Amino acid sequence: MKTISKLLLAISFAISVTTSAFAVTAVSWGGAYTESQKLGYGDPTAKALGIEINWVDYSGGLSEIKAQKEAGAITWDIIDVFAMDTINGCDEGLFVEFDFDKDFPPAPDGTPASKDFFTAMPSKCAVGNILYSWNYAYNTNNVKGTPKTIKDFFNTEKFPGKRAIYKGALTNLEIALAADGIKPGKGGAKIYKALNTEKGVNRAMDKIKALCTDPNGGCVFWSAGAQPPELLVSGEVVMATGWNGRFFGAEVGEGAPIKQVWDGQGLDYEYFVQVKGGPNDANGKAKKALAMMTSTEMLAGSAKYIAYAPWRKSSIAIMEAGEPWYKDGKTNMVPQMPTAPQNTKNYFLVDPVFWADNGTELGEKWEAMKAGL
Amino acid sequence: MSSETNKILTTDGIPLEVSLKRSERKNKIKAFLLVAPLLLFLIITYIFPIGSMLTRSIDDKMVTEMLPKTYKAMETWDGKELPSEEVFEAFYFDFQNLVEEKREGKLSTQLNYTKNGFKSIIKKLRRKSKSFEEGNYKEQIMAVHKRWANVEYWQAIQRRAPAYTAQKYLKGMDMYKNESGEIVSVSEDRRIHRVLWLRTLEIAFFVTLFCFLMAYPIAHLLATLPMKYSNLLMICVLLPFWTSLLVRTASWMILLQQQGMVNDFFVWIGLVGDDSRPEMMFNKTGSYVAMTQILLPFMVLPLYSVMKTISPSLMRAGKSLGGTPLVAFWKVYFPLTIPGIGAGCLLVFILAIGYYITPALVGGASGTLISNQIAFHMKSTLDWSFASAMGLMLLTGVLAIYWVYNKIVGVDNIKLG
Repeated sequence: MKTISKLLLAISFAISVTTSAFAVTAVSWGGAYTESQKLGYGDPTAKALGIEINWVDYSGGLSEIKAQKEAGAITWDIIDVFAMDTINGCDEGLFVEFDFDKDFPPAPDGTPASKDFFTAMPSKCAVGNILYSWNYAYNTNNVKGTPKTIKDFFNTEKFPGKRAIYKGALTNLEIALAADGIKPGKGGAKIYKALNTEKGVNRAMDKIKALCTDPNGGCVFWSAGAQPPELLVSGEVVMATGWNGRFFGAEVGEGAPIKQVWDGQGLDYEYFVQVKGGPNDANGKAKKALAMMTSTEMLAGSAKYIAYAPWRKSSIAIMEAGEPWYKDGKTNMVPQMPTAPQNTKNYFLVDPVFWADNGTELGEKWEAMKAGL
Repeated sequence: MSSETNKILTTDGIPLEVSLKRSERKNKIKAFLLVAPLLLFLIITYIFPIGSMLTRSIDDKMVTEMLPKTYKAMETWDGKELPSEEVFEAFYFDFQNLVEEKREGKLSTQLNYTKNGFKSIIKKLRRKSKSFEEGNYKEQIMAVHKRWANVEYWQAIQRRAPAYTAQKYLKGMDMYKNESGEIVSVSEDRRIHRVLWLRTLEIAFFVTLFCFLMAYPIAHLLATLPMKYSNLLMICVLLPFWTSLLVRTASWMILLQQQGMVNDFFVWIGLVGDDSRPEMMFNKTGSYVAMTQILLPFMVLPLYSVMKTISPSLMRAGKSLGGTPLVAFWKVYFPLTIPGIGAGCLLVFILAIGYYITPALVGGASGTLISNQIAFHMKSTLDWSFASAMGLMLLTGVLAIYWVYNKIVGVDNIKLG
């Protein structure tokens, strides 16, 4: 049975293999984000190394690569994944484990790669690519006054109107506690300490529940990153949590009347992983391309097109020297980075280990809470 | 022996009966070869995946094979207090083997499905166990993290002992088998699946009902109008059918959201106040409206194809025999359309019960279905065995409904055209 299933899956994958069998296949989320990767570092790397890099879209999760592996017909080389997926995929043996300082080049001043990146990697299989923020934004036309803090997001008396929040528990519990008065502490350690107890989880759930059942408030749950700015612009909600790059795109790119608030933001990461046994694993092309794409200069390149921060500290210096860095030639990008000093006065780092541990159980509690709204 | 002597022979001396059988067999083989590609296709794309889903949902050999010594040592454990040093020692040696084979990550994923919190403590154990000293493993393991000293985690390991298990099915009903072997419900704040099953049934039922109520008049109109009008109407029915599902779902969002066009219109004509716009999107209503519209053609088409074959003279006959139009409709026309109603309702219900994208986008908190939960476990947690179990439960549910339908209405009465 198993061999037949493998055979069948292999056939179906063989049929779906793209024509360029020798190109390195990089898989990412699509849209403006993939565009920024392709223009920022994909194309320059491909040109410098003389190899072809093919960008393919996916919608996240590890199910596709797991299916490819079970079928024994892997077609992907490099995948752009969430922190939790690097942990789960590394545990499942799907990805290549790196020898970090050997596999990745040092910063221009000679700092080894492991010191140049903002924080340590969550697993041996991950190399950082961008940092993004779960912050919130409001519609300047529909909100009277200026929300400044994460508490204001939950303050329906002062700022009445519906809020849009992410459909899952991820980051919602954290901001609820931050708004409920817990100081995040270094990297959000205090928030996660509280969430490790039943009491802390209930406290966070109650805070969200109060917001969603408040007649002056109410919640809309978003699932796709494009939704929060859309919901704000259409006036469906007055405030929305979301990814800062999307808000930036609407605010600066399209001139929408929205403004971002950075207080209590959750800093989250995006990583590249290399697929073990991918078509360009044995010949070393995939690793070579990956090392080049995550070098100082290359990472800075993507910030030209989108407001996500490069992982390497040394990349920021390149951006500063090149301001205005945004592709329109007049917007300074460094202040738009989630890692900029004025944006990180009160923030937490989304803890992938916590979510890998507790994701399912908290997910169930979250859904049960939502079902009772 | 009269039958033998009377046997009719063909010209070449073979009994006719044998010869006939032979040629019939040839025909049978030919017929079989003709359908063979289709049969093969069905086996590959239908029977086979369902079979592998079934085995995946009950197969739990992986953990059993990963911890052989531990489970042997656990046989004498009563499962109430913390296990003895023996169990800890056995676990330590099993674990060392796994670390050597680099399989401890898989173990952590599997155990984390049973009880959350295993991922990080197994990672920690891997790091610390390198410097373990010989003997007294209980103390050393418990010192790694306080969860290792919590009996619940050992009970969770014990629960994964059998090679085949129905646990995933129980989990799909928000239940589990506790230490003394009783099947009990999980704590109240984690019961999510039962709510979702009921909601899925409810939404599928109402969507079917709404579809029927709307499609019946449309199909009747289609079947009775002159050709030139009915063709135009048919295009109107089919046009949305040819539009992308996502486009239609997004259009409903634009129309029905609180600041959307429908609400704007209501405010403009003064039906509702500007600050009391009704919520029609991101809740159950959103799911009802969008799903009904999307599934409507599946109801219209079978109804239409049945109504088209009903001769208009039957209604005339009914009326000329003294029935009012209503009686004629109810006694003559309606019973004749039942095969179409059956086909349409079954189609719509079965499609609605497994619906996924639309409720995810427009359903909000109160309008999401069990299929969204299945997708969550397929994509995010990678707990495919749980997703398989829920998928099979859904399939069984559909088959059960089909069976009930067959008992009440009869499958022979279904007519698609």
